[in-house]
Amino acid sequence: MFVLAMRSIRQRPGRFLATLLSAFLGAAIIMTFNSMHDTAARSGVDPVSAQTLTTAAGVVGGYGTLLVFFAVASTLTVNVRQRAAELELLRCSGATPAQIGRMVVGEAVAVALVGASLAVGPAMLGGQVLLGVFQDSGQVARSVDHSFGALALVSGAGITLLAAAGAAFLAVRRAGRGSRRRGGARTFLAGAALLAGALGTLSTFAFSATDAALMAAPAYGAILLSVGFALLSPRLLKGVLERLPLSGGSGWLAVRNLRHRADGLAGILVSLILFTAVATATLYMQAVESDAVEASGLTRSVDAKNLETLNFTVVGIIVVFVCVMLVNTLYAATTYRSREFGQQRLAGATPGQVLGTVGAEGLILTVTGLAFGTLAALAGIIPFTLVRTDSVLPGQGLGIWLAVVSVAAAATLGTSLLTARRVLRTPAVGAVAVAA
Amino acid sequence: MFRAGSRHPHDTGPATEALRLVKVTKTYGTDENAVTALDGVTLTLGRGTFTAVMGPSGSGKSTLLQCAAGLDVPDSGIVRVDGTELTGGGEAELTRFRRGRIGFVFQQYNLLDTLTVAQNTVLPLRLAGRRVDRERAREVLVSVGLGDRLGHRPDQLSGGQRQRVAIARALVTEPRVIFADEPTGALDTRSARDVLGLLRRAVRVHGRTVVMVTHDPVAASYADSVLFLADGRLAGRMDTPSADAVAERLAHLGDDTMAGV
Repeated sequence: MFVLAMRSIRQRPGRFLATLLSAFLGAAIIMTFNSMHDTAARSGVDPVSAQTLTTAAGVVGGYGTLLVFFAVASTLTVNVRQRAAELELLRCSGATPAQIGRMVVGEAVAVALVGASLAVGPAMLGGQVLLGVFQDSGQVARSVDHSFGALALVSGAGITLLAAAGAAFLAVRRAGRGSRRRGGARTFLAGAALLAGALGTLSTFAFSATDAALMAAPAYGAILLSVGFALLSPRLLKGVLERLPLSGGSGWLAVRNLRHRADGLAGILVSLILFTAVATATLYMQAVESDAVEASGLTRSVDAKNLETLNFTVVGIIVVFVCVMLVNTLYAATTYRSREFGQQRLAGATPGQVLGTVGAEGLILTVTGLAFGTLAALAGIIPFTLVRTDSVLPGQGLGIWLAVVSVAAAATLGTSLLTARRVLRTPAVGAVAVAA
Repeated sequence: MFRAGSRHPHDTGPATEALRLVKVTKTYGTDENAVTALDGVTLTLGRGTFTAVMGPSGSGKSTLLQCAAGLDVPDSGIVRVDGTELTGGGEAELTRFRRGRIGFVFQQYNLLDTLTVAQNTVLPLRLAGRRVDRERAREVLVSVGLGDRLGHRPDQLSGGQRQRVAIARALVTEPRVIFADEPTGALDTRSARDVLGLLRRAVRVHGRTVVMVTHDPVAASYADSVLFLADGRLAGRMDTPSADAVAERLAHLGDDTMAGV
């Protein structure tokens, strides 16, 4: 089975590109930040510098691990779903489920290993740049040299490999079992997340304006709220669709398609909601905080600077990962619809109308995701701004939000439309026949 | 794009020929790998006729149907549907040409799983931006025996029922010509009989013209006439066919390839 796994990777390197990219990015980020642990452990590093370095490594390293797991899991789930026919063929040729599982896990581990090895070089450079950033802002002493040691290497490679193996295992198991409905648990979790999120944002009012931990409560509150919305996303989408009176061939078809596929599209909405909420909430709170410190005329402490660096880093990492997941999931989902597009064209849709349908679907998805993401972010931002500055909304204007929105919209609409256009190059009769 | 006559595509003008092909040629591949799927096919089908096209695999049946139906553009030759000539253009152009003139019934039904029976039926009207007459759509669905299945989705129907939805969808736009590609290929004999009966009724009652590609001599016997195709050329014609006669002719098709009709 391992030989088969290697052969399938060699024959179809393109299919593993998304997994490789997530593994590579994940390993690079984890190694970059964990090399701060190595650096801090060197002899002769003063306690303040060491503190800054280990905090950064701890926070981003934790986030990174979670993200690697989600990203690799999402790309592998897509990969396994795309290969349903191939896996079925193996099953018919006498492969046991365990053998197929070993093959897919073997492939994932091999791809993750390649990704992790590729990440070593960039991570070394990235670690030096990161240390330079800390030194330029005075958070770390100039005398500290960068060190890329065992901890960075082992944790980066180890976490990436474990995440890949675990994600592959889950993906195969889920594919083999078929979809199971767990509506009850999901609703309960969503309710719990929403409740905890609401409590989190409200507890902001218990802090005073200058508390160091002021940002934590609304930030986690906003994230929890967005998780709650994300868990409810199929239902939210259906609710939105009930109220959409779209006429015209493309729009009409788009609404009906989405209604039917609402459960399958949840993954895309989850990414959109989390991305919007985390990016908007973090960036606005940081901006409010920085401006408030500046207005008060105080010089910022090392802790405050650390927080700022970390916030921007975390948002940057999330943006990259969510974009990879979004693009990969949408690309796969759209390619998968080749036959459906062929059927629409044979029923009298021009290629322009098919693209119109895809565009309308993408737009509805984007607007829904952005709306609920923004709602969650606002729930965190407003209490924070109230406590910190006594105004209701941040004075930074819509700039940050517009930037977040355009990244999300460009990723969603761009991927759907470009992929659909490529898919439409197959003649309709051929597209219908291939999958038949 | 189309050299149309002065007539509106939907009036009942003087043209008595629903479909006309003149020296239609289609070649796939390039140079030494080239395969001539159609080799100068000329034929005329009158309005209100039911014609079966038969021939062994690789004889060019499907290519003939795709070229005649505006799904593909022939390399040379003329295709006229209901008096209007089909002249190249992009896919959007071909799609607009097909709308209202041509209806399809495929072996694999090609219904959209996301839409109900009623929604599938009116889809061509919606896409063409035409008025959707729900009552008329219901009538058509009742006439194919699916009056009680309007809200079902295709995956809740049997193969025969799905094919009847496809026929209703092809009828609802009131096209001049209905092309059927192996419409009974995936059906049991009883469902196949129902489907063929509906196609015949579309010709007799509604005055449509039906062109059906098939392997099955029994299916072909429902048609008014059968055209035989071999190696991309017409190899004979049989009027008021019986299943036995068609099977007999098909078995000896390779023996003496006749030129023309």
